[in-house]
Amino acid sequence: MAVASLPHGSSAGHDGVDQLYADTRALRLQGMLLFLVSDCILFSSFIFAYLYMRNSGQGWPPAGISRLDVAFASVNSVVLFGSGATMHYALENWKHNNFGRYALFMLATIVLGIGFLSGQAYEYTNLIFKEHVTWAGSGIFGASFFTLTGMHGFHVSVGVLYLIILFLQSVHGVYTKDKYFGLTAGTLYWHFVDVIWVVLFSIFYLI
Amino acid sequence: MHIDPAVLERTIAIIGGIIVAIVSAKALKDDWNTPGLDNQVFKLMLGLLFIGAIVAALAGANVLGNFPKAA
Amino acid sequence: MSATAVHAGGIADHIHPEPQGFVRRYIFSIDHKIIGIQYLITGFVFLILAGMLAEVIRTQLLHANGGFVSPDVYNEVYSMHGSAMVWLVIIPLITGGFGNVIMPLQIGARDVAFPWLNMISFWIFPVAGLMLFSSFLIGAPVAGWTEYPPMSLQAGPGTSMWAAAIFLIGVSSTLTGINFVVTMFQMRAPGMTWTRMPLFCWAQLATAPLLMIATTALAAALAALFIERQFGVPFYDPTKGGSPVMWQHMFWFYSHPAVYIMVLPAFGMISEIIPTFARKPIFGYKLIAFSSMAIALAGFMVWAHHMFTSGLAPYLQLPFMIITFIIAIPTGVKIFSWTATLWGGKIHFTTSMLFAVGFVALFTLGGITGIFLAAVPFDLHVHGTYFVVAHFHYVLVGGSLMGVFAGTYFYFPKMSGRLMNETLGKWHFWLFFIGFNGTFLPQHWLGMLGMPRRVPEYDPQFQFWNDFSSISSYVMTFSILLFFINVLWSLRNGKKSGPNPWGGRTLDWQIPSPPHYYNFKNIPTVYGLPYDFGQPLPYKGLEEELTDSPVHVGAHY
Repeated sequence: MAVASLPHGSSAGHDGVDQLYADTRALRLQGMLLFLVSDCILFSSFIFAYLYMRNSGQGWPPAGISRLDVAFASVNSVVLFGSGATMHYALENWKHNNFGRYALFMLATIVLGIGFLSGQAYEYTNLIFKEHVTWAGSGIFGASFFTLTGMHGFHVSVGVLYLIILFLQSVHGVYTKDKYFGLTAGTLYWHFVDVIWVVLFSIFYLI
Repeated sequence: MHIDPAVLERTIAIIGGIIVAIVSAKALKDDWNTPGLDNQVFKLMLGLLFIGAIVAALAGANVLGNFPKAA
Repeated sequence: MSATAVHAGGIADHIHPEPQGFVRRYIFSIDHKIIGIQYLITGFVFLILAGMLAEVIRTQLLHANGGFVSPDVYNEVYSMHGSAMVWLVIIPLITGGFGNVIMPLQIGARDVAFPWLNMISFWIFPVAGLMLFSSFLIGAPVAGWTEYPPMSLQAGPGTSMWAAAIFLIGVSSTLTGINFVVTMFQMRAPGMTWTRMPLFCWAQLATAPLLMIATTALAAALAALFIERQFGVPFYDPTKGGSPVMWQHMFWFYSHPAVYIMVLPAFGMISEIIPTFARKPIFGYKLIAFSSMAIALAGFMVWAHHMFTSGLAPYLQLPFMIITFIIAIPTGVKIFSWTATLWGGKIHFTTSMLFAVGFVALFTLGGITGIFLAAVPFDLHVHGTYFVVAHFHYVLVGGSLMGVFAGTYFYFPKMSGRLMNETLGKWHFWLFFIGFNGTFLPQHWLGMLGMPRRVPEYDPQFQFWNDFSSISSYVMTFSILLFFINVLWSLRNGKKSGPNPWGGRTLDWQIPSPPHYYNFKNIPTVYGLPYDFGQPLPYKGLEEELTDSPVHVGAHY
């Protein structure tokens, strides 16, 4: 694979703006991290609700509902976790000025992300149409499963869009070797979505 | 030759999980000494990714999530 | 985290050109001062609306058999009164309003960390407020501001509107919280270490994580309520496997920290006002700063003291009771520190100071009844009675609202360059103080005698004190009318204040009133605490601020 270096930054030569950018990076990083913290609280609240309801004494899964398909979800999880690894390498390659490899890993991340969403769509179709487990019609099992995984899927969808936009921006030269906070923020968000899935996978499929 | 989809899925999960675990561990080791708040967060995320990949592999191997059929 | 900024100025010290045009300057402004004033105006408008709802309540309760409004309407009235006061009045005034105007000035910054986000945070507020009040057209929420299921599940469409509106305003709060934390961490002037930061900022720093974390927990509860009502997804309906008590846990996990959101910034303002008008350094600066953080942290651990009658096991009630008692300690530390600040000071009883001292007295009373309520055996008897209503009005009205008044009289000159009328101000204070106590003091014994809350009619034995309370409330309302007349009159005719009418020592008082859009011509360097009255100011670089020297637009490196 030919190693291409990064496109020329559009802010080259505008020192005041670059200085402003460099100085405010810590600010934007902290803002992004705090946003992720608050998003974490959102998920934690629903996870609390799920565990509280599950602890209410009735058996799990409730009568008439069969266990979730661990095998399929394991594959889907590996797909998502794999996308986390590829995202890490995308950022690494950007930092080392390898546009070609960056692009490869970035696209791989997007493809894997879409793959995960397809897997979730398959899981939902299976649950709703074959097993007849629905959001509103299956008591607290359907309520908690679809709400939490749906919220997560929504976050992944937004994440895929975000990564596509970042990729297009990087192609257009918005980011340079030294100025790429957007990519850092995207990586943080993508890892966050991954880590949430570790928790959701464990509490829905494995316990 | 007919492969039971569940077996195929489990195999992919185990192999994939191990690969991702190795890759994340290597990435974590390589980046261990980087400074800066964002890098600390990345290291934490890579560690959790490592754990997640192991969990997925164990789930594929029926070690975790191995329940008797529901009533 | 570095305590001081990197360059000679503050972080990214650069002045942008002045915004042009009415819309850019005053409607869709990204200037924290304008946004803060927008919050204040909108919050005061909602204060009038929610206050009118309160007077409907008190008028209904003039007669033991009601008769002013129907019981169904009455349910809507008190539900909306509570919801509006918490989410559309106190929280926006005290965080978005005063926090936005004052905090960046006090830390020597040119604006908050994310000015565009700040503007969006503001504009969500009137939209959400309109949404909430428009629920009256389709049947407002009826289960109190706490909207417990199953009643909130069964009620009309207004409850869904309520959930959506409060969710929206929660987003505004969360974004403000993030903005304030990042601003205070990253944009303090050079030399302003944490222990040289003014106490109002410490208060906002303690409140901001509550805005960020607690509000998101409420968002989850509201979202669940909404989807249950609209799509039938079971969370709280016991007939479908859900749990009404779970709503209470999720709701109060937010709403207890919410009361600290409503009071901590008021504590911060009191901590600025009292030393200024006692001409004495604040007693126990570090104690006050850290006690704010302690209150914020502990505030997350006491939510179930609102649920003592919900069937929780006693072994669960006990830790909540004990931690609630413990929260009184950092609060008490503040009360003692303010009192010690007053002791031996040269006290000037401006209107602002009257409200500040009144705050200390009335909040203490409210805090004491809070201790009563923390005790499970006592609470079991008075939960859901007027004793609780009395308690929270003492801390929220005698506390937070008086803090808002104190802050308005104090910071009005900073925002407008004019003083508010002191005579009208004193009438406001005394009528308010007398009216307030007349309204809510009797409600303690009404509650202990057994009068439940949220009732449109009551046993005739409670008649006298209800009438006493209602008449007093009209006096209180009249005094608030005087306040608004004062604000409007003073904007046109108030005496010019000059930059620093109160002799304040924090950075906000060292620049013109009202400040230029860029706040500071040159970001100063800070050498000490601002509370040493009688000593020279601990700042360097402020020489040009009050002169007419031209300002350099662009980077300041």
